[in-house]
Amino acid sequence: MDIDPQVTERISRKLEEKGALVDCERIEAKLNLLVKDFGIPVEEAERTVTNEFIRELKLTNSGSNRDNPDVMKIADTNPGDWVTVEGKVVSLQTPPSPSMAQAGIISDDSGAVRFVVWEKANATLLEENKWYRFESATIDEYRGSPSMKVHSGTTITEIDEDRPLMPVPISLSDLKPGVATVHVKVVQDWEPRHERMFQTGILGDETATTKFVTWKDNNNQKLEEGKVYNIYYAGVDEYQGRYSLNLTGAMFLEDEGAEIEISGGKTTITGAIINLGPGSGLIKRCPVDGCNRVLNRQNFCPLHEIQDKFRYDLRITGVLDNGSAATNILIQREEAEKITGITLEKAIEIAENNPLGLEDVFIKMQDILIGRYFQCRGNDMEGTLLVKNCELISFDPQKHTGLINRASEQDTGVDL
Amino acid sequence: MTSGTGGHNGQKRYVREPAKRVFASELRETRLQFKDGDDEKSPVYVMLPTGERSNRIFFCGQMTQKERKGDENPFYTARVSDPTGLFFINAGSYQQEAMLKISQIEQGAYVSVVGKPIVRETPDGSVFVSVRVENISETDLETTKIWIDDTAESTLNRLLIFGETEDSKKAGEFYNTDLNVFRKMAYDALVRTEI
Repeated sequence: MDIDPQVTERISRKLEEKGALVDCERIEAKLNLLVKDFGIPVEEAERTVTNEFIRELKLTNSGSNRDNPDVMKIADTNPGDWVTVEGKVVSLQTPPSPSMAQAGIISDDSGAVRFVVWEKANATLLEENKWYRFESATIDEYRGSPSMKVHSGTTITEIDEDRPLMPVPISLSDLKPGVATVHVKVVQDWEPRHERMFQTGILGDETATTKFVTWKDNNNQKLEEGKVYNIYYAGVDEYQGRYSLNLTGAMFLEDEGAEIEISGGKTTITGAIINLGPGSGLIKRCPVDGCNRVLNRQNFCPLHEIQDKFRYDLRITGVLDNGSAATNILIQREEAEKITGITLEKAIEIAENNPLGLEDVFIKMQDILIGRYFQCRGNDMEGTLLVKNCELISFDPQKHTGLINRASEQDTGVDL
Repeated sequence: MTSGTGGHNGQKRYVREPAKRVFASELRETRLQFKDGDDEKSPVYVMLPTGERSNRIFFCGQMTQKERKGDENPFYTARVSDPTGLFFINAGSYQQEAMLKISQIEQGAYVSVVGKPIVRETPDGSVFVSVRVENISETDLETTKIWIDDTAESTLNRLLIFGETEDSKKAGEFYNTDLNVFRKMAYDALVRTEI
């Protein structure tokens, strides 16, 4: 296959614009080497050859202006690309590794991407909220999300102008790995399970609910449960096919007075409770402010050690099975009290006046729940149904009659 | 419904096997037992004649003929009756809690049972299908009636797609299943249930 002469001509013209005349045959020879001998795609080769001549002839790109067609929109970049982009540093985070000088997010009017400046790049330090032009950066993929790498071959030029930038919020149901701006309500605020975790819980909008996590940082801000926020430039991570939002370093503004009708209670499953998890029944929670972790038998909190002034709580973890799928369910105190008929006070009384203690509450709940049919409605979260409403099912004579009709009519080729 | 591909669909996440709804007389006809995978821990399934694999079942009924057996290694056996026949259940020292529960439940009580179906050949050459209990609890007639509807519906659903799924094709080859027998079984179970 011969190389399209247009490619050679384009390179020649580009070099000419920069004030250098290069023999077309030389350009063609270089292109041939890359394309024919090395099997590099023509577009890639075009870039490489152009850059090579620019370096060889000591031309600079500085003369090029903003309309330079080489500048790509962030939204159009893909892993594997060598790119030149112009964007604003909208967030900086503490780099997770000493081999990184800086880590953060840059954005243009098309979208945003995470970036990493390698220590070895020896680049000038980027400042938050300033615009820069990044030439010859690379886009790769880190844990499923695109990430721009600034390496020693990347040229960074500060752009001395603040261009308008209006991030567009997207629906939670449209999340994809990378960076996103969202308009959400804090649905739940959970107990962090890890020392490095600052906050975790669930965010929701009209379309979906998503788990979020904020790792400890120098300038952590806490989200309040029940409030609505605009969250700018949150990281979207993927884990086992599910997305979660990483708010570390993200900026958020409370949308005061706003209300969102959370998508939820959307999942309804009817089935039999066939198993109760060991964390069911009366549990003890760590009393330390904001901790709330479940204590073990020895009143031990993984973070705050022995806590004798614990707080009691009631919950049910178990498996609801409808015959074609087994779903983990988590039922909080209010619904747990309703379906078992055991209030928190009663459970405490049972536990404190019985040699088996907490175990006795667990056994009583097993006797009441296991093997019976319930309908649970709630939000599916990482494969667990967070039950908002749970009802014991009773026999339905109408359904029964319907089934008799179906059994007598369903066509199996022979009459009954 | 699509359990034909279940268990080995490349998902790394552990997926709990659902408890299939099956009537006693269908379970009693079950013969084909197989392991899905070569691993020591690969799940063992039985193929139901109506065309679905099952590694766990759920059923309700009245418990009868409870017996404690074995001296050094005690275990319990009992029968649970549904409108179509009998389930033979057992629990041994590896099912301590289930064994304890069976020992406490009085004969004639309505129970709900979750367990693993096991097809075994007896020394005299006949085949015996039993259920190793994972969980058993005393429930009531109401729950049993809901289960009968649930199980009739699941059975009719299996018949509806019989021959369309991989597993039901295999079941058809192995059992030469007469769909009408199982439709009638579901029908009889339903009409024997008082509203």
